[in-house]
Amino acid sequence: MTRTRIAAALAAASLIALTGCGANAGAATTAANDFPKKGKSIEIVVAFAPGGAVDTAARLVQPILEKELGTNVEVVNKPGAGGQIGYTQLTSAKPDGYTIGATGSPSVVVSPLDPSRGAKYTRSSFQPLGRQVIDPAVIAVQPDSPYQTLKDLLDAAKANPKSLTASTTGLQTGEHFAMAQIQQTTGAEFAPVHFSEGASQATTAFLGKHVDVLVANVSDVNDLTKQGKARVLGVMTAERSPALPDVPTFKESGYDVEAGTVRGYSAPAGLPDAVAKKLEAALQKAIEDPAVAQKMKDLGLQTSYLSGKDYEQFWAGQEEDFKKVLPLVQKKD
Amino acid sequence: METLNELLGGFAAAMTWQNLIFAFIGCLLGTVIGVLPGIGPVAGVALLIPLTLNLDATGSIIMLCAIFYGTQYGGTITSVLLNTPGEAASAITTIDGYAMTKMGKAGAALTIAAVGSFVGGTIATLGLVAAAKPLGELGLLVGPPEFFALMVVGISLLVALAGKSMVKALISGALGLLISMVGIDPVAGAPRFTFGMDRLLDGVSFVAVIVGVFGLSEILSHRKDSQTPAVHAPGLRSLLPSRADMRRSTPAMARGTGIGFGLGLIPGMTGSVASLLSYGAEKKFSRHRHELGKGAVEGVAGPETANNAHANAALIPLFTLGIPASPTIAVLMGAFLQQGLTPGPTLFTEHSEIAWAIIASLFIGNLLLLLLNVPLVGLWTSILRVPPSILTALILLFMVIGAYTINFSVFDVFVMIGFGLLGLALRHLDIPLAPMVLTLVLGPLMERSLRESLEISQGDFGIFVNRPISMVLITIGVLIICSPLLKLRKPKALMEDPET
Repeated sequence: MTRTRIAAALAAASLIALTGCGANAGAATTAANDFPKKGKSIEIVVAFAPGGAVDTAARLVQPILEKELGTNVEVVNKPGAGGQIGYTQLTSAKPDGYTIGATGSPSVVVSPLDPSRGAKYTRSSFQPLGRQVIDPAVIAVQPDSPYQTLKDLLDAAKANPKSLTASTTGLQTGEHFAMAQIQQTTGAEFAPVHFSEGASQATTAFLGKHVDVLVANVSDVNDLTKQGKARVLGVMTAERSPALPDVPTFKESGYDVEAGTVRGYSAPAGLPDAVAKKLEAALQKAIEDPAVAQKMKDLGLQTSYLSGKDYEQFWAGQEEDFKKVLPLVQKKD
Repeated sequence: METLNELLGGFAAAMTWQNLIFAFIGCLLGTVIGVLPGIGPVAGVALLIPLTLNLDATGSIIMLCAIFYGTQYGGTITSVLLNTPGEAASAITTIDGYAMTKMGKAGAALTIAAVGSFVGGTIATLGLVAAAKPLGELGLLVGPPEFFALMVVGISLLVALAGKSMVKALISGALGLLISMVGIDPVAGAPRFTFGMDRLLDGVSFVAVIVGVFGLSEILSHRKDSQTPAVHAPGLRSLLPSRADMRRSTPAMARGTGIGFGLGLIPGMTGSVASLLSYGAEKKFSRHRHELGKGAVEGVAGPETANNAHANAALIPLFTLGIPASPTIAVLMGAFLQQGLTPGPTLFTEHSEIAWAIIASLFIGNLLLLLLNVPLVGLWTSILRVPPSILTALILLFMVIGAYTINFSVFDVFVMIGFGLLGLALRHLDIPLAPMVLTLVLGPLMERSLRESLEISQGDFGIFVNRPISMVLITIGVLIICSPLLKLRKPKALMEDPET
C-alpha cells in the first residue's frame, strides 16, 4: 500500500517537474517561433494625433500587417509633447514584438539630445524595423499673400525678424528644425507658433489665417494646393517633389536648405532576433505593397523603404546633423 | 435644387437593404458600447473598424457613423439609470437624469433623451446638407485666441454651476484643473505631477476618473447610507414623458441644438464640452433653473441634444475641409482613408454618390435610433427591477471592466477606485462634482490655446481683446460671472421702487 503510494507520489512529482521543465523550455522558443500568438494583438503606437500623415501611413500598413502576421494589429494614438509621450510609451513597453511604434525624425532623434525635455529614452532605446517614407518640408503662404516668391518671403522675414508667424507641429519637430535651418542658412527668422497636437491643427490655424506662414510637409499641402488654399513657395529637397512639380526647390531659388521628416517603424530595443525578423519582413511587405504605395502617393508621400539595419544607420547620421542646429530650436525662456 | 437631387440619390443608395442592415447593426452596437461604462465612442469605433474593413466603402462608413452616434444615445442610459456615465459626453446627464430616476421618472428621462438626441442629430445633419461649405469656413474663424475665449466662457459657467457655495465649486474646479495637468507638458515636454511614475506620463484617464467620481462614489455612498441604488422600478405609465415635461424640454432642446451645432463646427471641441456647456446654459437661462440638480427634465434634454448635435455637426469640418474636429471623427477619418476616400471638398467632387449616401444614412440612422431607443426604454428601465445587491455587483463589474479596457491596464482600475474614494469624500464635504469634470475637460484645451495665442502675439495678452470674436466671447464670460451680482441688486431695486 505504502509502496504504491510512494511510487504514485514519485510519478506525480516527476510529471510535475517534467511539465514544469517543458513549459519553461518552451517559453523561450515560443516567444520567438510562435510569434505572434493567435488572438494576441499587436499595437502600433503613433505618437501623433489621428488624421496626420504618420497616423494615416500607419493605418494604411495596418491591414497588410494583420494579413502577414495573422493577428490583430491596432493603431493607438498617443499624441503630445512633439511625440515624446508616444515614444516614452513605446520604449517603456516590453520588447516582445507586441508593441511597435511609428517613429518619425526629427522628433524621435532630437528629444533625447535636449536634456531639458527629460526624455527617458535615447536612440539606443529603439530597435529600428524599417523606414517607410521621406516627406520633404515645404513653406507656404496664404493664396492672397503679397509674397509671390520664396525670395520675397525670406527677404521680408530678414528685414523684420519675427514679424511673420509660422506654424510648427510642436517644439523641436521637423517643421521647427526646418525653420531653424532656414534661419541658419539665410538669416530669415520667423516667429514659431507650436501646434502641439499636430499637422491637422496647424493646417486649420493656417486656413483660418491665424498664422501667416505654413511650414509643413509635402503631404500636408498636397490637398491644400489642389484646392487653391495655400501657395507653396519652396520645397526643401534636392529635386522637385513629384507631388508638387511646379514648385521650385530651395536650391533652385538659391538657398542651400534641405529638410523634411522621415518616418519608419521601430520596436523597443531588445527584441528577440526571430521576432524582429518576422516584424521586419511583414513591414517590408506592407510598406512596399503597391496599393499602399499608391495611396501614399495620392497623399503626396514618396515611399522610400529601408531595412531595419539601414534605417538605423540613417538615424545615426541624422543625429549628427541635428546636433548642429539644436541651439536654435531650444527654448530660451 | 441640385443639392436636393443629390440628397435624394443618396437616400436611394442608403436605403438598399444591405445598407439599412449595416445602419441597424451600427446603431445597435453603438448603443451597447454607449451603455457600457468606460468604453467611449473613440475606443468603440476604433475597436469595430476591423469589422467593417471588408465591406464596400459606403456600407462600412454608414455602419461606423451609426456606431458613432449610437454611442451618444447609449451613454445616456447608464447615466440616467445607474448614475454612472456610459461615456464622457453623458457625464453631466447623471445629475438630473439620476435624480429623475429616483423620482420614478426614469422612463420619461430616457424618452426625452432619445427625442432630444434625434432632434439635435437631425437638425445638425440638415445643417450639413444646407450650408456645409460656408459653415465649415466659419469654424476656421475660431483660432487659438477665440478658442481660448470660448474656454473662458466655459469656465465662467463654473459660477453658473456653483449651486450652494461658490467657494466649494471653485475648490472642485481647481481640483479638476490640477488633475488635468498630470502628465507630460504638451508643449515643452517636461513631466508634471507624475511623481516619477511612468504610468502617469499619459495623464490620468479621463474616463476612469469620471466613472470613479460619479459612479463608484455613488455606489459607495449608498452602501454607507444602507440605501439601495434602485429606488423605484417605474411603471409602464411613467415611460412616457408628461405633456409638461415635453413643453419644458423644448426650449432646452433648442438651446442644446444651437450649442452642440456651433461647437461641432469648431475643430478641437469634443462632445463632452458641448454637453457641459449646454448644462451650464440651462442652469443660467432655463425658466426652471432652480430645479436643476433635483431632477429637472431640462438637465437631461439640453445636454443630450447638445452632444448629438455636436456629433453630427462635427462631420461638417471633416466633409468640407478634411479636418477631423474631434478624436472620434479622427478615427472615422482613418476609416475613410482606408476605404480610399479622402475627406475634404474633393469628396463631393470625386465620390459624390458615396458622400451623399453617407449623409442620407445620418438621417436614417438617427431615425433608427429613435425607433430603437423609445421601445427599448421599457427594457432598459426594467434593469431597475433587478434586486439591488445583484445590480450593484453587476455595475461594479462593468465599471472595473470598463476602466480596464480603456488602455487594458490594471492601473486605470486603481485610478477609478482612487477617484471613487475622492468622489465619496467630496460628497461628504458637500462639494459639487460637476465643476471638477468641467475643468478636467476644459483645462488641457485652455492651456493649449492660451500658449498658442501668446506665441502668435509674441507674449501680448492684448490679442484676446483686439480680435472681435474673442473680445465678444470674453465679454460674455465676464457677464456670466458678474450676472449673479447684477441679480442681487435687482430685487433690491424692485423693493425700493414702491417706496419712492
